[in-house]
Amino acid sequence: MPTTLRIALLAGLLALLSNLAVIGFIYFRTHDEAVATVHQQVIEQGKVLADVYRSGGQAALDDALRDTMNYADPQTAIALLGPNGHEIIGNIEPTPATALPLQEGYRNALIRLRGQTTPRGAARVVQHLPCCQWGGCGRIAGEGVAIRDTLERSLLIALVLAGLLGLLCGMVLAHYVGRRIGDIAKVADRISGRDLSQRVPVSRAGDAFDRLGGQINAMLDRISRLMEELRLLTDSLAHDLRSPVSRLRSAAHAAAEANDPREQEELLGSVIRQADALMRILTAVLEISRSEALTGRKQFNWFDVGELAAELAEMYDPLAEEGGASLEFDRPARPAPLFGHRQLLAQAVSNLIENAIRYGSAGGEICIRVEPGERVIRIEVGDRSPGIPAARRAEARRRFGRLDSSRSDEGAGLGLALAEAIAHLHQGKLMLEDNAPGLLTILELPVHSQQSRAA
Amino acid sequence: MGRKILLIEDDRETASYLAKGLNQEGHGVEQAANGQDGLFRATDGSFDLIILDRMLPVLDGLSVLKALRAAHIETPVLILSALASVGDRIEGLECGSDDYLVKPFSFAELLARVNALLRRREARVNPTEHRLTVGDLEIDPLSRSVKRAGKKLDLKPREYLLLEYFARNEGRVVTRTMLLEQVWDYHFDPGTNVIDVHVSRLRRKLDEGFEKPLLHTVRGAGYMLAA
Repeated sequence: MPTTLRIALLAGLLALLSNLAVIGFIYFRTHDEAVATVHQQVIEQGKVLADVYRSGGQAALDDALRDTMNYADPQTAIALLGPNGHEIIGNIEPTPATALPLQEGYRNALIRLRGQTTPRGAARVVQHLPCCQWGGCGRIAGEGVAIRDTLERSLLIALVLAGLLGLLCGMVLAHYVGRRIGDIAKVADRISGRDLSQRVPVSRAGDAFDRLGGQINAMLDRISRLMEELRLLTDSLAHDLRSPVSRLRSAAHAAAEANDPREQEELLGSVIRQADALMRILTAVLEISRSEALTGRKQFNWFDVGELAAELAEMYDPLAEEGGASLEFDRPARPAPLFGHRQLLAQAVSNLIENAIRYGSAGGEICIRVEPGERVIRIEVGDRSPGIPAARRAEARRRFGRLDSSRSDEGAGLGLALAEAIAHLHQGKLMLEDNAPGLLTILELPVHSQQSRAA
Repeated sequence: MGRKILLIEDDRETASYLAKGLNQEGHGVEQAANGQDGLFRATDGSFDLIILDRMLPVLDGLSVLKALRAAHIETPVLILSALASVGDRIEGLECGSDDYLVKPFSFAELLARVNALLRRREARVNPTEHRLTVGDLEIDPLSRSVKRAGKKLDLKPREYLLLEYFARNEGRVVTRTMLLEQVWDYHFDPGTNVIDVHVSRLRRKLDEGFEKPLLHTVRGAGYMLAA
């Protein structure tokens, strides 16, 4: 059964049930009231007639009965019966029922008024009077019953109408809901058909459907941004792998062709180097995606960032010296404990140092500094290279984003991207600033958030 | 040398290539093609070394390793894996392996690590020597003093650690990544020749002024300290 039909039926059923409750309430109230009114009137009339007899005797009663017959409304039945059941005064056709000894008191009975052909339901009071056998009065409930009949008929029609209207409302509602959901489903369909540019139309009503649509749109925005990033990444990965692969291929080819064994050995060595460089690129890309996916957090531990930086400064000092630069390390005044991934952070910092050595050795001075702060620990690597203009810094930190287009040297342009990914793993950030002159790269890592994570 | 090595590797090509190479080095190699079989063979504890692929059918490498260590079988284990990230390496080491080598690797790298592990086993069995000597080189690990031909060498702390590691693997090839892992305790691959620079500094202090060099470069593999 389609959802819209189900919603329509459900709404119709609910409308029917609620109307049934209201109609039932009206029915029982009016029914009881009509009967109670007739009952009351008949009893009162009976009392009045009895009083008349008591104060004025039979003559007064006769007058009162005649008056009542003449002036009361035509629904009033009244009779004074003789000892054998015959009528003395009254407007009732004798029936077999009236001939029998009548029981005193109130009851419902069938009474045929004089001049009418069918007996009708009435409330009746019978009293025993000393003058004659029975006195009684009744009131044909016809009018009340007629009203009740009309009411019952109208209520029945109302019930059917309510059911139909409920069904109609349900259909309108189902159609509306269906249309709003259909809009979203249509977009989802087109997106499955690979058109990521589709968006859910959002009205200005700000209802739940709009919120849902808005959230779906935000999700789609993020997905397409990620897809775009992924596309860029695969493109540049494929592009960047082309040159080492082609170098590898030509070295292997040359080695195969070489006649001189020494030359051949040289070329094979180059093949291995190129293959290693390729592996390094792949490992770095993997490391970046791992860090961005935050998978390394279970290997977090406490360690002193100052110690780590000192170790790395010592490790890279000879390399900087070979390049003609001096590597200075500003030992922090106090320990800089951090809950993090020591190995990955070592790699991030070493990438920054290697970058500084690679591009900033000519400037002569490379400085590493650790600043343990209250909320963040800053690890700074500054060089005296020409630096990166502010406008191109975003480009520099992109994967494979090397600013010089020549891609022949060792680095794959992944160093800063990896450092940034590792900073993200630690909920920190990588900043590129002006060292005036030169480039200052800063890893800023929050202390407390990780402490609470550890707890 | 002639050691017994258990090779647990499901890739037939890699396994036969490794077995052949290790045989040529004089080691006996027994092979297992899945984790369960490997674990079964390893439990008799008669091997000197287990080379364990991380991704194996039936039972993966890390589970085999954990089961072995849980059964108190302390045979040295070298893990081979295509999982190359720093986190993967550390996970492998934390599971109780003695070394971790990322695929693809050169056979020279594998052999160097195999020999280092076998050597460590030997050192564990024999009482440790107090003094390391290589030719006319004398190293005292307690005082961290180094003499060559009776003359004291002035080494920086890291240079001393490098030399001690070389001396403990005397006559065996030591690769750059082994040095980075063992001497610096870093498990990433630096994009520069930073290790070579350190080794050449050590070499300058060690061999300069002496006729016979002790620290040799092994092409395509690494370095070796030998008299």
